[in-house]
Amino acid sequence: MLLEVKGFSKQFGGLAAISNVDFSVKKGEIRGLIGPNGSGKSTLFNLISGVYTPDKGRISLDGEDISGLEPHEIARRGIARTFQLLRLFGQMTVLENLLVGHHAHIRYSAPAAIFGLPNVWAEETRVKDEMMDLLSFIGLADYAGMPAGELSGGQRRLLTIGRAIAMRPKILLLDEPAAGLSPVNVDNLLRLIVSLKERYGLTLVVIEHILKVVMDTCETVTVLEHGEKIAEGPPAKIKDDPRVVEAYLGKEMSDAEVQAFLKAS
Amino acid sequence: MRATPVRRAWPWLLGFGALLVLPLITSNAYHRYLLTIILINVILAVGLNIVKGFAGQVTVGHIALAAIGAYTSAALSAYYGVPFWLALPGAMLAAGLAGVMIGIPSFRLEGAYLALATLGLAESVRIYFSATDYFGASIGFGDIPPPFIGGYAINTHLSYYYLVMPLALAGIYFSFAILRSDIGRSFQALREDPLAASVSGINVRKYKLLAFLISALYAGCAGSLQAHLSPGFIHPNNYTIVEMVTLLLMVVLGGIGHIWGGIIGAVLVTIVYDLTRDYYQYQLAIFGMIIVLTVTYMPKGIGGIIDRLFAERRFNARRKASAEKSNAA
Repeated sequence: MLLEVKGFSKQFGGLAAISNVDFSVKKGEIRGLIGPNGSGKSTLFNLISGVYTPDKGRISLDGEDISGLEPHEIARRGIARTFQLLRLFGQMTVLENLLVGHHAHIRYSAPAAIFGLPNVWAEETRVKDEMMDLLSFIGLADYAGMPAGELSGGQRRLLTIGRAIAMRPKILLLDEPAAGLSPVNVDNLLRLIVSLKERYGLTLVVIEHILKVVMDTCETVTVLEHGEKIAEGPPAKIKDDPRVVEAYLGKEMSDAEVQAFLKAS
Repeated sequence: MRATPVRRAWPWLLGFGALLVLPLITSNAYHRYLLTIILINVILAVGLNIVKGFAGQVTVGHIALAAIGAYTSAALSAYYGVPFWLALPGAMLAAGLAGVMIGIPSFRLEGAYLALATLGLAESVRIYFSATDYFGASIGFGDIPPPFIGGYAINTHLSYYYLVMPLALAGIYFSFAILRSDIGRSFQALREDPLAASVSGINVRKYKLLAFLISALYAGCAGSLQAHLSPGFIHPNNYTIVEMVTLLLMVVLGGIGHIWGGIIGAVLVTIVYDLTRDYYQYQLAIFGMIIVLTVTYMPKGIGGIIDRLFAERRFNARRKASAEKSNAA
Protein backbone atom coordinates (compact mmCIF):
# COMPACT_ATOMS: atom_id res chain seq x y z
CA MET A 1 0.00 0.00 0.00
CA LEU A 2 1.26 3.47 -0.88
CA LEU A 3 -0.98 5.38 1.52
CA GLU A 4 -2.30 3.72 4.61
CA VAL A 5 -4.62 5.46 7.06
CA LYS A 6 -5.66 3.53 10.16
CA GLY A 7 -8.45 4.59 12.52
CA PHE A 8 -8.49 8.32 11.82
CA SER A 9 -10.88 10.26 14.06
CA LYS A 10 -11.44 14.00 14.32
CA GLN A 11 -13.95 15.90 16.42
CA PHE A 12 -14.93 19.56 16.05
CA GLY A 13 -16.65 20.52 19.29
CA GLY A 14 -19.26 17.81 19.74
CA LEU A 15 -19.35 16.87 16.06
CA ALA A 16 -17.45 13.81 14.89
CA ALA A 17 -16.27 14.99 11.44
CA ILE A 18 -14.38 11.74 10.86
CA SER A 19 -14.73 8.68 13.04
CA ASN A 20 -12.52 5.64 12.89
CA VAL A 21 -11.87 5.69 9.15
CA ASP A 22 -9.43 3.26 7.52
CA PHE A 23 -8.32 4.29 4.08
CA SER A 24 -5.67 2.56 1.97
CA VAL A 25 -4.61 3.39 -1.56
CA LYS A 26 -2.52 1.16 -3.82
CA LYS A 27 0.31 2.54 -5.91
CA GLY A 28 -0.89 3.64 -9.36
CA GLU A 29 -4.56 3.59 -8.44
CA ILE A 30 -7.20 6.22 -9.17
CA ARG A 31 -9.42 6.27 -6.12
CA GLY A 32 -12.76 8.07 -5.95
CA LEU A 33 -13.95 9.56 -2.67
CA ILE A 34 -17.64 10.39 -2.62
CA GLY A 35 -20.36 11.16 -0.10
CA PRO A 36 -23.05 13.73 0.56
CA ASN A 37 -22.22 17.28 1.71
CA GLY A 38 -20.69 17.32 5.16
CA SER A 39 -19.78 13.66 5.08
CA GLY A 40 -16.13 14.39 5.91
CA LYS A 41 -14.38 14.09 2.52
CA SER A 42 -12.50 17.38 2.73
CA THR A 43 -11.78 16.79 6.41
CA LEU A 44 -10.13 13.50 5.47
CA PHE A 45 -7.95 15.36 2.93
CA ASN A 46 -7.05 17.95 5.58
CA LEU A 47 -6.06 15.16 7.97
CA ILE A 48 -3.96 13.33 5.38
CA SER A 49 -2.13 16.50 4.30
CA GLY A 50 -1.47 17.53 7.90
CA VAL A 51 -3.60 20.68 7.84
CA TYR A 52 -5.55 19.16 10.75
CA THR A 53 -4.04 16.77 13.28
CA PRO A 54 -6.23 13.74 13.96
CA ASP A 55 -7.46 13.02 17.50
CA LYS A 56 -6.74 9.35 16.91
CA GLY A 57 -5.18 7.21 14.21
CA ARG A 58 -1.95 6.66 12.29
CA ILE A 59 -0.93 7.37 8.72
CA SER A 60 1.93 6.02 6.68
CA LEU A 61 3.22 6.74 3.20
CA ASP A 62 5.26 4.14 1.31
CA GLY A 63 5.86 2.30 4.60
CA GLU A 64 7.07 5.37 6.47
CA ASP A 65 5.02 6.55 9.46
CA ILE A 66 4.19 10.22 8.85
CA SER A 67 1.71 10.71 11.70
CA GLY A 68 1.92 14.09 13.40
CA LEU A 69 4.19 15.73 10.83
CA GLU A 70 3.58 19.31 9.76
CA PRO A 71 2.00 20.07 6.36
CA HIS A 72 5.28 21.12 4.73
CA GLU A 73 7.03 17.96 5.93
CA ILE A 74 4.20 15.79 4.62
CA ALA A 75 4.34 17.68 1.31
CA ARG A 76 8.06 17.01 1.02
CA ARG A 77 7.53 13.31 1.57
CA GLY A 78 5.27 13.15 -1.46
CA ILE A 79 1.66 14.03 -0.70
CA ALA A 80 0.28 16.87 -2.82
CA ARG A 81 -3.24 18.24 -2.77
CA THR A 82 -5.52 20.80 -4.35
CA PHE A 83 -8.21 22.83 -2.61
CA GLN A 84 -11.89 23.18 -3.39
CA LEU A 85 -11.40 26.96 -3.12
CA LEU A 86 -8.23 26.76 -5.27
CA ARG A 87 -5.99 28.92 -3.04
CA LEU A 88 -3.70 30.06 -5.83
CA PHE A 89 -1.06 32.73 -5.25
CA GLY A 90 -3.14 35.32 -7.11
CA GLN A 91 -0.59 38.12 -7.42
CA MET A 92 2.22 35.84 -8.53
CA THR A 93 2.53 34.82 -12.16
CA VAL A 94 1.31 31.49 -13.51
CA LEU A 95 4.91 30.27 -13.88
CA GLU A 96 5.79 31.42 -10.34
CA ASN A 97 2.86 29.44 -8.95
CA LEU A 98 4.38 26.27 -10.39
CA LEU A 99 7.85 27.25 -9.18
CA VAL A 100 6.50 27.58 -5.64
CA GLY A 101 5.08 24.06 -6.02
CA HIS A 102 8.55 22.90 -7.12
CA HIS A 103 10.12 24.53 -4.02
CA ALA A 104 11.32 21.29 -2.42
CA HIS A 105 13.24 20.27 -5.55
CA ILE A 106 15.17 23.48 -6.13
CA ARG A 107 18.80 22.75 -5.43
CA TYR A 108 20.73 25.74 -4.19
CA SER A 109 21.50 26.97 -0.72
CA ALA A 110 20.08 30.11 0.88
CA PRO A 111 23.50 31.84 1.02
CA ALA A 112 24.03 31.11 -2.69
CA ALA A 113 20.65 32.70 -3.42
CA ILE A 114 21.43 35.77 -1.31
CA PHE A 115 24.74 36.34 -3.09
CA GLY A 116 23.19 35.56 -6.48
CA LEU A 117 25.86 33.02 -7.46
CA PRO A 118 26.03 31.56 -10.98
CA ASN A 119 24.83 28.12 -9.84
CA VAL A 120 21.59 29.83 -8.76
CA TRP A 121 21.04 31.21 -12.29
CA ALA A 122 21.76 27.82 -13.82
CA GLU A 123 19.35 26.05 -11.49
CA GLU A 124 16.69 28.75 -12.03
CA THR A 125 16.98 28.29 -15.80
CA ARG A 126 16.71 24.52 -15.43
CA VAL A 127 13.62 24.58 -13.21
CA LYS A 128 11.93 27.29 -15.27
CA ASP A 129 12.38 25.18 -18.42
CA GLU A 130 10.98 22.19 -16.58
CA MET A 131 7.96 24.13 -15.32
CA MET A 132 7.35 25.61 -18.79
CA ASP A 133 7.19 22.02 -20.03
CA LEU A 134 4.53 21.24 -17.47
CA LEU A 135 2.68 24.45 -18.35
CA SER A 136 2.57 23.45 -22.03
CA PHE A 137 1.27 20.05 -21.04
CA ILE A 138 -1.66 21.56 -19.15
CA GLY A 139 -2.16 24.15 -21.89
CA LEU A 140 -1.25 27.29 -19.97
CA ALA A 141 2.14 28.09 -21.51
CA ASP A 142 0.78 31.23 -23.20
CA TYR A 143 -0.18 32.65 -19.82
CA ALA A 144 3.15 31.99 -18.06
CA GLY A 145 3.81 35.66 -17.30
CA MET A 146 0.27 36.58 -16.31
CA PRO A 147 -0.79 37.01 -12.66
CA ALA A 148 -2.65 33.85 -11.65
CA GLY A 149 -5.53 35.97 -10.34
CA GLU A 150 -6.34 37.10 -13.88
CA LEU A 151 -6.94 33.61 -15.28
CA SER A 152 -10.45 32.35 -16.00
CA GLY A 153 -12.13 29.93 -13.62
CA GLY A 154 -11.31 26.82 -15.63
CA GLN A 155 -7.70 27.87 -16.15
CA ARG A 156 -7.32 28.42 -12.42
CA ARG A 157 -8.51 24.89 -11.73
CA LEU A 158 -5.91 23.60 -14.19
CA LEU A 159 -3.22 25.69 -12.54
CA THR A 160 -3.93 24.32 -9.05
CA ILE A 161 -3.50 20.83 -10.47
CA GLY A 162 -0.31 21.97 -12.19
CA ARG A 163 1.04 23.46 -8.97
CA ALA A 164 0.41 20.18 -7.14
CA ILE A 165 2.10 18.15 -9.90
CA ALA A 166 5.07 20.52 -9.84
CA MET A 167 5.71 19.06 -6.37
CA ARG A 168 6.53 15.72 -8.02
CA PRO A 169 4.31 13.93 -5.52
CA LYS A 170 3.88 10.20 -5.05
CA ILE A 171 0.18 10.70 -4.42
CA LEU A 172 -2.09 13.54 -5.45
CA LEU A 173 -5.32 14.43 -3.66
CA LEU A 174 -7.77 16.33 -5.89
CA ASP A 175 -10.60 18.12 -4.09
CA GLU A 176 -13.48 18.56 -6.58
CA PRO A 177 -11.35 19.28 -9.65
CA ALA A 178 -14.37 19.54 -11.95
CA ALA A 179 -16.55 21.81 -9.80
CA GLY A 180 -18.06 24.63 -11.83
CA LEU A 181 -16.78 23.39 -15.20
CA SER A 182 -19.01 23.05 -18.26
CA PRO A 183 -19.70 19.46 -19.43
CA VAL A 184 -17.23 19.80 -22.35
CA ASN A 185 -14.52 21.02 -19.99
CA VAL A 186 -15.26 18.21 -17.57
CA ASP A 187 -14.47 15.69 -20.33
CA ASN A 188 -11.28 17.54 -21.24
CA LEU A 189 -10.25 17.63 -17.61
CA LEU A 190 -10.83 13.90 -17.24
CA ARG A 191 -8.60 13.17 -20.22
CA LEU A 192 -5.96 15.52 -18.84
CA ILE A 193 -6.03 13.94 -15.39
CA VAL A 194 -5.61 10.46 -16.84
CA SER A 195 -2.74 11.56 -19.09
CA LEU A 196 -1.04 13.39 -16.22
CA LYS A 197 -1.29 10.24 -14.16
CA GLU A 198 0.42 8.24 -16.92
CA ARG A 199 3.09 10.85 -17.62
CA TYR A 200 4.12 11.47 -14.02
CA GLY A 201 3.41 8.01 -12.60
CA LEU A 202 0.93 9.36 -10.08
CA THR A 203 -1.47 7.78 -7.66
CA LEU A 204 -4.68 9.78 -7.39
CA VAL A 205 -7.45 10.28 -4.87
CA VAL A 206 -10.34 12.32 -6.29
CA ILE A 207 -13.22 13.89 -4.37
CA GLU A 208 -15.98 14.57 -6.85
CA HIS A 209 -19.67 15.37 -6.86
CA ILE A 210 -20.05 14.87 -10.58
CA LEU A 211 -20.65 11.13 -10.45
CA LYS A 212 -19.78 10.69 -14.13
CA VAL A 213 -16.21 11.68 -13.30
CA VAL A 214 -15.97 9.07 -10.58
CA MET A 215 -17.74 6.31 -12.50
CA ASP A 216 -15.65 6.82 -15.66
CA THR A 217 -12.18 7.19 -14.17
CA CYS A 218 -11.93 5.46 -10.83
CA GLU A 219 -11.13 1.80 -10.29
CA THR A 220 -12.26 1.85 -6.70
CA VAL A 221 -14.65 4.19 -4.90
CA THR A 222 -14.83 4.92 -1.18
CA VAL A 223 -18.09 6.31 0.20
CA LEU A 224 -18.27 8.41 3.37
CA GLU A 225 -21.36 9.43 5.30
CA HIS A 226 -21.45 11.31 8.62
CA GLY A 227 -17.71 10.80 8.92
CA GLU A 228 -17.85 7.05 8.56
CA LYS A 229 -16.85 4.81 5.70
CA ILE A 230 -20.04 3.07 4.54
CA ALA A 231 -18.85 1.36 1.37
CA GLU A 232 -15.79 0.66 -0.77
CA GLY A 233 -15.48 -1.15 -4.07
CA PRO A 234 -15.67 -0.89 -7.86
CA PRO A 235 -17.99 1.90 -9.14
CA ALA A 236 -20.55 -0.47 -10.67
CA LYS A 237 -21.06 -2.25 -7.38
CA ILE A 238 -21.09 0.96 -5.33
CA LYS A 239 -23.86 2.40 -7.49
CA ASP A 240 -26.28 -0.35 -6.43
CA ASP A 241 -25.22 -0.57 -2.77
CA PRO A 242 -28.40 0.13 -0.74
CA ARG A 243 -26.52 2.10 1.91
CA VAL A 244 -25.02 4.40 -0.72
CA VAL A 245 -28.38 4.91 -2.41
CA GLU A 246 -29.85 5.72 0.98
CA ALA A 247 -27.11 8.18 1.80
CA TYR A 248 -27.65 10.07 -1.44
CA LEU A 249 -31.39 9.73 -2.08
CA GLY A 250 -32.85 8.81 1.30
CA LYS A 251 -34.70 5.70 2.29
CA GLU A 252 -37.78 4.37 0.58
CA MET A 253 -40.76 4.53 2.96
CA SER A 254 -43.40 1.85 3.30
CA ASP A 255 -47.05 2.89 2.88
CA ALA A 256 -47.60 2.69 6.63
CA GLU A 257 -44.62 4.96 7.25
CA VAL A 258 -45.92 7.51 4.73
CA GLN A 259 -49.29 7.57 6.45
CA ALA A 260 -47.66 8.01 9.84
CA PHE A 261 -45.49 10.82 8.50
CA LEU A 262 -48.47 12.65 6.96
CA LYS A 263 -50.46 12.36 10.15
CA ALA A 264 -47.64 13.74 12.23
CA SER A 265 -47.10 16.77 10.04
CA MET B 1 17.87 35.08 -24.23
CA ARG B 2 20.12 33.60 -21.55
CA ALA B 3 21.93 36.11 -19.36
CA THR B 4 25.68 35.63 -19.22
CA PRO B 5 27.72 36.84 -16.24
CA VAL B 6 28.90 39.83 -18.27
CA ARG B 7 25.40 40.78 -19.31
CA ARG B 8 24.26 40.49 -15.70
CA ALA B 9 27.10 42.63 -14.38
CA TRP B 10 26.87 45.65 -16.64
CA PRO B 11 23.72 47.33 -15.20
CA TRP B 12 25.37 47.18 -11.79
CA LEU B 13 28.61 48.65 -13.10
CA LEU B 14 26.61 51.37 -14.85
CA GLY B 15 24.70 52.14 -11.64
CA PHE B 16 27.93 52.19 -9.66
CA GLY B 17 29.48 54.60 -12.15
CA ALA B 18 26.47 56.92 -12.03
CA LEU B 19 26.41 56.95 -8.24
CA LEU B 20 30.16 57.56 -8.23
CA VAL B 21 29.84 60.88 -10.07
CA LEU B 22 26.46 61.89 -8.62
CA PRO B 23 27.72 63.91 -5.60
CA LEU B 24 30.28 65.69 -7.79
CA ILE B 25 27.46 67.41 -9.71
CA THR B 26 26.87 69.66 -6.73
CA SER B 27 29.40 71.42 -4.56
CA ASN B 28 26.74 72.18 -1.98
CA ALA B 29 27.64 70.26 1.19
CA TYR B 30 24.03 70.04 2.28
CA HIS B 31 22.99 68.38 -0.97
CA ARG B 32 25.80 65.87 -0.55
CA TYR B 33 24.57 65.20 2.97
CA LEU B 34 21.05 64.75 1.59
CA LEU B 35 22.30 62.21 -0.96
CA THR B 36 23.88 60.25 1.87
CA ILE B 37 20.62 60.34 3.85
CA ILE B 38 18.70 59.17 0.78
CA LEU B 39 21.00 56.16 0.42
CA ILE B 40 20.73 55.28 4.13
CA ASN B 41 16.95 55.45 3.77
CA VAL B 42 17.18 53.24 0.68
CA ILE B 43 18.87 50.59 2.84
CA LEU B 44 16.12 50.90 5.47
CA ALA B 45 13.26 50.85 2.96
CA VAL B 46 14.64 47.98 0.88
CA GLY B 47 14.90 45.93 4.08
CA LEU B 48 11.37 46.82 5.15
CA ASN B 49 10.04 45.96 1.69
CA ILE B 50 11.42 42.41 2.05
CA VAL B 51 9.53 41.66 5.26
CA LYS B 52 6.43 43.78 4.65
CA GLY B 53 6.10 43.98 0.89
CA PHE B 54 7.24 40.49 -0.09
CA ALA B 55 6.63 38.34 2.99
CA GLY B 56 3.49 40.36 3.87
CA GLN B 57 4.27 40.67 7.58
CA VAL B 58 2.81 43.95 8.84
CA THR B 59 5.62 45.07 11.14
CA VAL B 60 5.89 48.47 12.77
CA GLY B 61 9.09 47.48 14.54
CA HIS B 62 11.57 48.18 11.75
CA ILE B 63 12.60 51.59 13.09
CA ALA B 64 13.43 50.07 16.48
CA LEU B 65 15.81 47.66 14.74
CA ALA B 66 17.58 50.63 13.21
CA ALA B 67 17.77 52.16 16.72
CA ILE B 68 19.29 48.97 18.10
CA GLY B 69 21.84 49.00 15.28
CA ALA B 70 22.67 52.66 15.85
CA TYR B 71 23.05 52.40 19.64
CA THR B 72 25.02 49.14 19.46
CA SER B 73 27.42 50.64 16.97
CA ALA B 74 27.69 53.86 19.00
CA ALA B 75 28.36 52.10 22.30
CA LEU B 76 30.88 49.69 20.77
CA SER B 77 32.94 52.42 19.16
CA ALA B 78 32.57 55.20 21.79
CA TYR B 79 33.00 53.06 24.90
CA TYR B 80 35.15 50.15 23.75
CA GLY B 81 37.12 51.75 20.95
CA VAL B 82 35.91 49.16 18.47
CA PRO B 83 36.65 50.38 14.92
CA PHE B 84 33.66 51.11 12.68
CA TRP B 85 34.49 48.14 10.45
CA LEU B 86 33.74 45.79 13.37
CA ALA B 87 31.02 47.93 14.97
CA LEU B 88 28.99 47.74 11.73
CA PRO B 89 28.75 43.93 11.68
CA GLY B 90 28.18 44.03 15.44
CA ALA B 91 25.24 46.39 14.93
CA MET B 92 23.85 44.14 12.19
CA LEU B 93 24.15 41.12 14.44
CA ALA B 94 22.38 42.83 17.34
CA ALA B 95 19.59 44.09 15.06
CA GLY B 96 19.34 40.63 13.48
CA LEU B 97 18.80 38.98 16.87
CA ALA B 98 16.20 41.60 17.79
CA GLY B 99 14.55 41.13 14.40
CA VAL B 100 14.13 37.41 14.98
CA MET B 101 12.56 38.21 18.37
CA ILE B 102 10.18 40.72 16.77
CA GLY B 103 9.35 38.02 14.22
CA ILE B 104 8.28 35.37 16.71
CA PRO B 105 4.83 36.92 17.38
CA SER B 106 4.17 36.55 13.62
CA PHE B 107 3.70 32.80 14.18
CA ARG B 108 0.38 33.51 15.83
CA LEU B 109 -0.58 37.06 14.86
CA GLU B 110 -1.54 38.56 11.54
CA GLY B 111 -2.31 41.97 10.09
CA ALA B 112 -3.36 44.65 12.55
CA TYR B 113 -2.65 42.43 15.56
CA LEU B 114 0.91 41.83 14.45
CA ALA B 115 1.26 45.58 13.83
CA LEU B 116 0.16 46.28 17.40
CA ALA B 117 2.52 43.70 18.91
CA THR B 118 5.52 44.98 16.93
CA LEU B 119 4.58 48.58 17.72
CA GLY B 120 4.65 47.74 21.43
CA LEU B 121 8.06 46.10 21.12
CA ALA B 122 9.41 49.02 19.09
CA GLU B 123 8.20 51.69 21.48
CA SER B 124 9.62 49.85 24.49
CA VAL B 125 12.99 49.75 22.74
CA ARG B 126 12.87 53.51 22.15
CA ILE B 127 11.76 54.21 25.72
CA TYR B 128 14.55 51.98 27.02
CA PHE B 129 17.16 54.03 25.13
CA SER B 130 15.63 57.34 26.22
CA ALA B 131 15.64 56.29 29.88
CA THR B 132 19.08 54.67 30.14
CA ASP B 133 21.99 56.92 31.10
CA TYR B 134 24.50 54.51 29.55
CA PHE B 135 22.98 55.34 26.14
CA GLY B 136 22.76 59.07 26.83
CA ALA B 137 19.11 58.86 27.88
CA SER B 138 16.95 61.72 26.59
CA ILE B 139 19.98 63.96 26.02
CA GLY B 140 21.15 61.76 23.18
CA PHE B 141 24.30 59.78 22.45
CA GLY B 142 27.11 62.10 21.27
CA ASP B 143 30.80 61.93 20.34
CA ILE B 144 30.45 58.79 18.27
CA PRO B 145 33.77 58.53 16.42
CA PRO B 146 33.72 58.55 12.61
CA PRO B 147 35.01 55.56 10.64
CA PHE B 148 38.74 55.58 9.94
CA ILE B 149 40.74 54.20 7.05
CA GLY B 150 44.27 54.05 8.43
CA GLY B 151 44.76 57.55 9.84
CA TYR B 152 42.14 59.12 7.57
CA ALA B 153 38.80 59.96 9.20
CA ILE B 154 35.67 59.65 7.07
CA ASN B 155 33.98 62.73 8.48
CA THR B 156 33.20 64.94 5.50
CA HIS B 157 29.87 64.64 3.72
CA LEU B 158 31.57 63.65 0.48
CA SER B 159 33.76 60.92 1.97
CA TYR B 160 30.83 59.57 4.00
CA TYR B 161 28.78 59.36 0.82
CA TYR B 162 31.47 57.15 -0.69
CA LEU B 163 31.27 54.93 2.40
CA VAL B 164 27.48 54.60 2.26
CA MET B 165 27.08 54.28 -1.51
CA PRO B 166 28.78 50.86 -2.02
CA LEU B 167 26.90 49.50 1.00
CA ALA B 168 23.57 50.74 -0.36
CA LEU B 169 24.34 49.31 -3.80
CA ALA B 170 25.32 45.98 -2.24
CA GLY B 171 22.08 46.05 -0.24
CA ILE B 172 20.11 46.59 -3.43
CA TYR B 173 22.03 43.81 -5.19
CA PHE B 174 21.36 41.32 -2.38
CA SER B 175 17.67 42.24 -2.27
CA PHE B 176 17.36 41.65 -6.03
CA ALA B 177 19.16 38.33 -5.75
CA ILE B 178 16.99 37.21 -2.84
CA LEU B 179 13.68 38.34 -4.27
CA ARG B 180 14.30 36.79 -7.69
CA SER B 181 15.24 33.43 -6.18
CA ASP B 182 13.26 30.64 -4.58
CA ILE B 183 13.51 32.53 -1.27
CA GLY B 184 11.67 35.54 -2.71
CA ARG B 185 8.98 33.31 -4.21
CA SER B 186 8.54 31.54 -0.88
CA PHE B 187 8.13 34.93 0.85
CA GLN B 188 5.43 35.93 -1.63
CA ALA B 189 3.70 32.57 -1.32
CA LEU B 190 3.39 32.90 2.44
CA ARG B 191 2.08 36.43 1.98
CA GLU B 192 -0.55 35.31 -0.54
CA ASP B 193 -1.74 32.18 1.25
CA PRO B 194 0.20 30.63 4.17
CA LEU B 195 -1.83 27.42 4.09
CA ALA B 196 -1.30 26.84 0.37
CA ALA B 197 2.38 27.66 0.88
CA SER B 198 2.78 25.07 3.61
CA VAL B 199 1.11 22.25 1.67
CA SER B 200 3.43 23.20 -1.21
CA GLY B 201 6.34 22.21 1.03
CA ILE B 202 7.32 25.64 2.38
CA ASN B 203 8.23 25.80 6.07
CA VAL B 204 6.17 28.91 6.79
CA ARG B 205 7.67 29.69 10.21
CA LYS B 206 11.23 29.34 8.96
CA TYR B 207 10.64 31.69 6.03
CA LYS B 208 8.81 34.25 8.20
CA LEU B 209 11.81 34.36 10.54
CA LEU B 210 14.21 34.52 7.59
CA ALA B 211 12.31 37.56 6.25
CA PHE B 212 12.46 39.26 9.64
CA LEU B 213 16.17 38.40 9.99
CA ILE B 214 17.16 39.69 6.55
CA SER B 215 15.23 42.93 6.95
CA ALA B 216 16.73 43.41 10.43
CA LEU B 217 20.26 43.10 9.01
CA TYR B 218 19.42 45.96 6.63
CA ALA B 219 18.03 48.03 9.50
CA GLY B 220 21.11 47.37 11.64
CA CYS B 221 23.41 48.43 8.83
CA ALA B 222 21.43 51.64 8.23
CA GLY B 223 21.35 52.38 11.97
CA SER B 224 25.11 52.02 12.28
CA LEU B 225 25.61 54.36 9.31
CA GLN B 226 23.32 56.94 10.94
CA ALA B 227 25.31 56.77 14.18
CA HIS B 228 28.75 57.40 12.68
CA LEU B 229 27.58 60.10 10.31
CA SER B 230 29.13 63.43 11.27
CA PRO B 231 28.61 64.95 13.87
CA GLY B 232 28.27 61.47 15.44
CA PHE B 233 25.09 62.09 17.40
CA ILE B 234 21.92 60.02 17.75
CA HIS B 235 18.80 60.71 19.76
CA PRO B 236 15.77 58.55 20.73
CA ASN B 237 13.59 61.07 18.91
CA ASN B 238 15.11 59.87 15.62
CA TYR B 239 13.37 56.54 16.15
CA THR B 240 9.76 57.42 16.92
CA ILE B 241 6.50 56.34 15.34
CA VAL B 242 6.78 59.38 13.04
CA GLU B 243 9.97 57.97 11.53
CA MET B 244 8.26 54.59 11.22
CA VAL B 245 5.32 56.13 9.34
CA THR B 246 7.80 57.85 7.04
CA LEU B 247 9.46 54.49 6.37
CA LEU B 248 6.11 52.86 5.70
CA LEU B 249 5.28 55.68 3.32
CA MET B 250 8.47 54.96 1.35
CA VAL B 251 7.51 51.34 0.85
CA VAL B 252 3.81 51.99 0.16
CA LEU B 253 4.44 54.85 -2.26
CA GLY B 254 7.27 53.05 -4.05
CA GLY B 255 5.20 49.89 -4.37
CA ILE B 256 4.60 47.23 -1.74
CA GLY B 257 6.11 43.99 -2.93
CA HIS B 258 7.66 45.64 -6.00
CA ILE B 259 11.34 44.89 -6.38
CA TRP B 260 12.08 48.60 -6.94
CA GLY B 261 9.50 49.76 -4.37
CA GLY B 262 11.81 50.57 -1.47
CA ILE B 263 14.29 52.36 -3.70
CA ILE B 264 11.81 54.61 -5.53
CA GLY B 265 9.98 55.37 -2.29
CA ALA B 266 13.09 56.19 -0.26
CA VAL B 267 14.38 58.63 -2.88
CA LEU B 268 11.04 60.44 -3.31
CA VAL B 269 10.03 60.56 0.34
CA THR B 270 13.42 61.72 1.58
CA ILE B 271 13.32 64.60 -0.89
CA VAL B 272 9.72 65.51 0.02
CA TYR B 273 10.59 65.18 3.71
CA ASP B 274 13.41 67.64 3.24
CA LEU B 275 11.34 70.11 1.20
CA THR B 276 8.54 70.16 3.81
CA ARG B 277 10.91 70.52 6.76
CA ASP B 278 9.60 74.05 7.44
CA TYR B 279 6.13 72.67 7.98
CA TYR B 280 7.26 69.86 10.23
CA GLN B 281 4.16 70.11 12.44
CA TYR B 282 2.03 69.02 9.47
CA GLN B 283 4.43 66.38 8.13
CA LEU B 284 2.84 63.41 9.83
CA ALA B 285 -0.61 64.49 8.66
CA ILE B 286 0.64 64.94 5.08
CA PHE B 287 2.43 61.59 5.05
CA GLY B 288 -0.53 59.78 6.58
CA MET B 289 -2.77 61.29 3.92
CA ILE B 290 -0.43 60.24 1.11
CA ILE B 291 -0.45 56.67 2.48
CA VAL B 292 -4.26 56.58 2.51
CA LEU B 293 -4.49 58.07 -0.99
CA THR B 294 -1.83 55.73 -2.37
CA VAL B 295 -3.44 52.64 -0.90
CA THR B 296 -6.85 53.74 -2.23
CA TYR B 297 -5.94 54.90 -5.73
CA MET B 298 -2.71 53.07 -6.60
CA PRO B 299 -2.40 50.09 -4.28
CA LYS B 300 0.71 48.86 -6.04
CA GLY B 301 2.45 52.22 -5.72
CA ILE B 302 4.60 53.91 -8.30
CA GLY B 303 6.39 50.67 -9.13
CA GLY B 304 3.06 49.07 -9.98
CA ILE B 305 2.09 51.96 -12.26
CA ILE B 306 5.39 51.74 -14.15
CA ASP B 307 4.89 47.99 -14.54
CA ARG B 308 1.42 48.53 -15.96
CA LEU B 309 2.68 51.10 -18.46
CA PHE B 310 5.25 48.61 -19.74
CA ALA B 311 2.71 45.80 -19.80
CA GLU B 312 0.26 47.96 -21.79
CA ARG B 313 2.96 48.91 -24.28
CA ARG B 314 3.96 45.28 -24.75
CA PHE B 315 0.31 44.31 -25.12
CA ASN B 316 -0.35 47.05 -27.70
CA ALA B 317 2.79 46.16 -29.64
CA ARG B 318 1.79 42.51 -29.74
CA ARG B 319 -1.76 43.37 -30.84
CA LYS B 320 -0.43 45.62 -33.57
CA ALA B 321 1.97 42.92 -34.76
CA SER B 322 -0.73 40.28 -34.91
CA ALA B 323 -3.11 42.70 -36.70
CA GLU B 324 -0.45 43.41 -39.33
CA LYS B 325 0.18 39.71 -39.74
CA SER B 326 -3.50 38.99 -40.37
CA ASN B 327 -3.72 41.99 -42.75
CA ALA B 328 -0.77 40.70 -44.74
CA ALA B 329 -2.38 37.27 -44.95
